Amino acid sequence: MIGERTLTLLGARAIAVTREVGGIALMTGQVLRALLPPRLDGRELVRNLHRMGNRSLPIVALTAFFAGGLMVVQSAPFVKRLGATSLAGWAAGYAVLREIGPILIGLMFSGRVGANNTAELGTMTVTEQLDGLRALAIDPIRYLIVPRVLAMLIMLTALTIIGDLVALVGAAVVAYLVLDIDWRTMYFSFADNLTPHDFFHGVYKSVAFGAAIALTSCYFGVTVKGGAVGVGRAVNAAVVAAAVSIMLLDFFITYATA
Amino acid sequence: MIELRDVGVELGGATLLRGVSLAVPAGARLGVIGPAAAGKSVLVKVMAGLIPPTTGRLIIDGTDVTGWSEEKLAPVRARIGMLFQNYALYDFLDVAGNVGFPLAQRGLAADALGPRVLERLRAVGLAGSEFKQPSQLSGGMKKRAGIARATIAAPELVLYDEPTAGLDPVTTSKVYDLLRADHDASGATAVAVSSDVAGLVTFVTDVVFVYRGQLAYQGPAATLADAPDPLVRQFVSGALDGPLEA
Ligand SMILES: Nc1ncnc2c1ncn2[C@@H]1O[C@H](COP(=O)(O)OP(=O)(O)O)[C@@H](O)[C@H]1O
Ligand SMILES: [Mg+2]
Repeated sequence: MIGERTLTLLGARAIAVTREVGGIALMTGQVLRALLPPRLDGRELVRNLHRMGNRSLPIVALTAFFAGGLMVVQSAPFVKRLGATSLAGWAAGYAVLREIGPILIGLMFSGRVGANNTAELGTMTVTEQLDGLRALAIDPIRYLIVPRVLAMLIMLTALTIIGDLVALVGAAVVAYLVLDIDWRTMYFSFADNLTPHDFFHGVYKSVAFGAAIALTSCYFGVTVKGGAVGVGRAVNAAVVAAAVSIMLLDFFITYATA
Repeated sequence: MIELRDVGVELGGATLLRGVSLAVPAGARLGVIGPAAAGKSVLVKVMAGLIPPTTGRLIIDGTDVTGWSEEKLAPVRARIGMLFQNYALYDFLDVAGNVGFPLAQRGLAADALGPRVLERLRAVGLAGSEFKQPSQLSGGMKKRAGIARATIAAPELVLYDEPTAGLDPVTTSKVYDLLRADHDASGATAVAVSSDVAGLVTFVTDVVFVYRGQLAYQGPAATLADAPDPLVRQFVSGALDGPLEA
């Protein structure tokens, strides 16, 4: 038997989640409306791109390199047993381009850039900077949110493409060091077995993940309540929401295109 | 200048203001007092057009602006300056950038902007801090930077939310001297929220007392101590015994 308390709690939680999903949808609408026509502060966009790129490139490169290598290590026993060295690159590349790359890089990006974005916007909210902008007839959505959303979208896509390349290099390096497979074999294993479709499948995902991370991190930032403690809570909620969104989106995109 | 008619505000399922009626004539100086979380900040944000009234009307200079869109409110807001309780200094700009922001936003050229920013910074005693970041300022300096920004565009109505909270007594006196001098010179209407009644009454002529989202008293600052409402009398005297609940 489920107790009444549990049910009440479940219900309250469901209402809270529904409200948040509704809030994020509302913000998505506001961002889209602010983009039509795209009157946009170009400088602010470039500033954000620069900041977010700098902040996340090292960690993305590191993650991607080892993700690529890891796939080779995982497939090593089978490759060796079957003597199928020409498939080592395919196995690693397929997994990295389609799944591991976009997901891991998305999660890293969310933890680094998304969390930071929530904290920044949250601090601005509790110090009334958003009201301050509105008081001067400046739309905070257009001025603060849109450049950040676009920057995160563009930057995560770019980082995923860079990360894909780094991961393939990582796979080749590990294959050489661990399995003694030479560079040429790995290269042809990639080139013969991977299609542009595998690559784009991952890129589409990164666009969707970028949108999810951007919108959730901004939403939780601008809805902060309760001072500095509230900012901490919001960062936590934003990272969890982004991770859940990434997993759900990944499943549905993969399912819809399979 | 500004008038609220039977204004109620509900946000997030809570009633923040109820039945607030209040008129501030042009050139008047109104003080807003009351215990913490009574709704003082909400009240001034309604006046600034930042929180829309759920019920009732907001009238600015005879024009009913209730329910106006953000775009439509823009020219109305241009005539209002506001100091926010939490400063609202933009952390992406330095002090001079913050103070000059309202004018820069109106397209004033940089060479015309510089002298006006300097004049304001001097007036609030922040000359020399132009290139500091807001995070490098003390609480008192942030307040003064906020006052400089609120007044730089020569607004007809200035709203000060807690201009002296957290300041030492000497700085508090300086801030009220500054507000008096500013408004004597400009003749602009002022609404100032404060819990520091003694300091506030050196600046304002009239006072409203906000209690649980309602106006419990409206009257001249001079007769505040003799207000008929025991709530107000207790608040002003600071007595421990009385009807006031925390
Ligand atoms: N945007 C908002 N949404 C929901 N509740 C709010 C909001 N702003 C203020 N409140 C609540 O309204 C009450 C009055 O707040 P406020 O006007 O800031 O009090 P104070 O008189 O101390 O300035 C508080 O209980 C506060 O939590
Ligand atoms: Mg307040």
